[in-house]
Amino acid sequence: MREQRSIDTKPVTSRLMRTPRSIDIEITARCNLRCRYCYFFNNPAMEYRDLPANEWLDLFDELGSLGVMQVTLAGGEPFIRTDLTEILESIVRNRMRFSLLSNGALIDDRIASFIAGTGRCDYVQISVDGSSSKIHDSCRGEGSFDGAIRGIRTLQRNRVNVAVRVTLHRNNVCDLENITKFLLNDLGLASFSTNSAGYMGACRLNSADLLLNTQDRQTAMTTLLSLNEIFQGRISANAGPLAEGRMWRRMEDARSQGAPSFSNGGRLTGCGCTSSKLAVRSDGVIVPCNMLAHIELGRINQNCISEIWQHNHDLNRLRNRHTISLSDFSFCDGCSYISYCTGNCPGLAYSIMGNAYHPSPDACFRRFIEANGTIP
Amino acid sequence: MNYLAKPIANPVVVLREEFDDWAVLFNPDTADAVGINPVGVTVWKQMDGTRSIEDIVSVVQSNFEDVPEAVHEEIVAFVQMLEKNGFVGLALKSNI
Ligand code: SF4
Ligand code: SF4
Repeated sequence: MREQRSIDTKPVTSRLMRTPRSIDIEITARCNLRCRYCYFFNNPAMEYRDLPANEWLDLFDELGSLGVMQVTLAGGEPFIRTDLTEILESIVRNRMRFSLLSNGALIDDRIASFIAGTGRCDYVQISVDGSSSKIHDSCRGEGSFDGAIRGIRTLQRNRVNVAVRVTLHRNNVCDLENITKFLLNDLGLASFSTNSAGYMGACRLNSADLLLNTQDRQTAMTTLLSLNEIFQGRISANAGPLAEGRMWRRMEDARSQGAPSFSNGGRLTGCGCTSSKLAVRSDGVIVPCNMLAHIELGRINQNCISEIWQHNHDLNRLRNRHTISLSDFSFCDGCSYISYCTGNCPGLAYSIMGNAYHPSPDACFRRFIEANGTIP
Repeated sequence: MNYLAKPIANPVVVLREEFDDWAVLFNPDTADAVGINPVGVTVWKQMDGTRSIEDIVSVVQSNFEDVPEAVHEEIVAFVQMLEKNGFVGLALKSNI
């Protein structure tokens, strides 16, 4: 009768579950910082305004009734909301868990102890992009490093689970070893995750001096793969150089051995989020993902979430993206990695190519090789 | 636990019916989740503290075809597993 303990290993089925398991919410359009590579600001699809708490409370009642399990609050900066405790109480009341994505600077003991007291927080994720204020503040603004570290220590003091995300850009690749020692040894974190600045939002204005070039990417990849060995797997990544390093190694091995296609290879399979989650913008517009903020599926408290989840045309179209073959694109013509490639992130594909139904050039392995990149 | 015990579903636990009658029980206080099949869903829905295991077995027998002989033991084991993991409580002894 009992099938298994972990939901992550529940049998894979191509059928759609009745409701989403989790929701990513941009709970505010305000932020105390203006990071140079922020994906959130400078997005023409967005309307930058906040909703009153009662709109979010109504949404959480609906999510609770649908059996949604987890809510991630991001922004902007979620801790800028003075009504955050009311919002979190509503999530708890509706039998859900939550996590928060933050720059750390506005976290004090009062809110940290409130979060700990709910017993429902999976983690608060703080962005740390350098081992010193000189490097971290170069993109996030003066005083932001001290704010982030103060936030982490406050959370630790209050026994809230802290996650740290390091976003790689041109100015911090050289600091990776120091960052790793600082986070894992000095701050005593169990692990941290990495990604890299992408051509989205504010980063589009600063891409020339922020985005990793081939050499940076190669250095980051080599350094992270080796640090991860030294630190026994305590660095993780779903995107960015560490994830690419692993994926591209597999692709190169498969190609050189003439291995059969990967089960998810040769088609636009780069994202499976649409089968388990939805996102909501700060203005209450429901979207498939925060990286696809232009695909408006409806509005909270006006459109029924389960109706959108099951029947929205644009969402179902996105779900069927995996049926599109990479060989349909002139971009991939003649590529020897095609059977092992997933076409990468649709959000970045949209941001770079203006088309979410296209492979993203950002994590294109052939492009990296053609620019004289080599994998470690 | 005997067949007269009356289990009560922990009210904080969420029953997420995901595919057809298959479901996940999710305890938001512990983040534990258990995947359950349609029989498990039926059992879960009966656990309101008024029905004994014996009553629940009868409901399962009348709702499903080809119910195996060992259904009593299986349901007891299932409820015990849920109890051990904080998904279920038992009504006070005086009610048993
Ligand atoms: S990256 Fe985060 S902290 Fe920086 S401006 Fe954007 S929302 Fe604010
Ligand atoms: S060209 Fe790039 S995106 Fe297309 S199949 Fe090759 S590696 Fe993948």
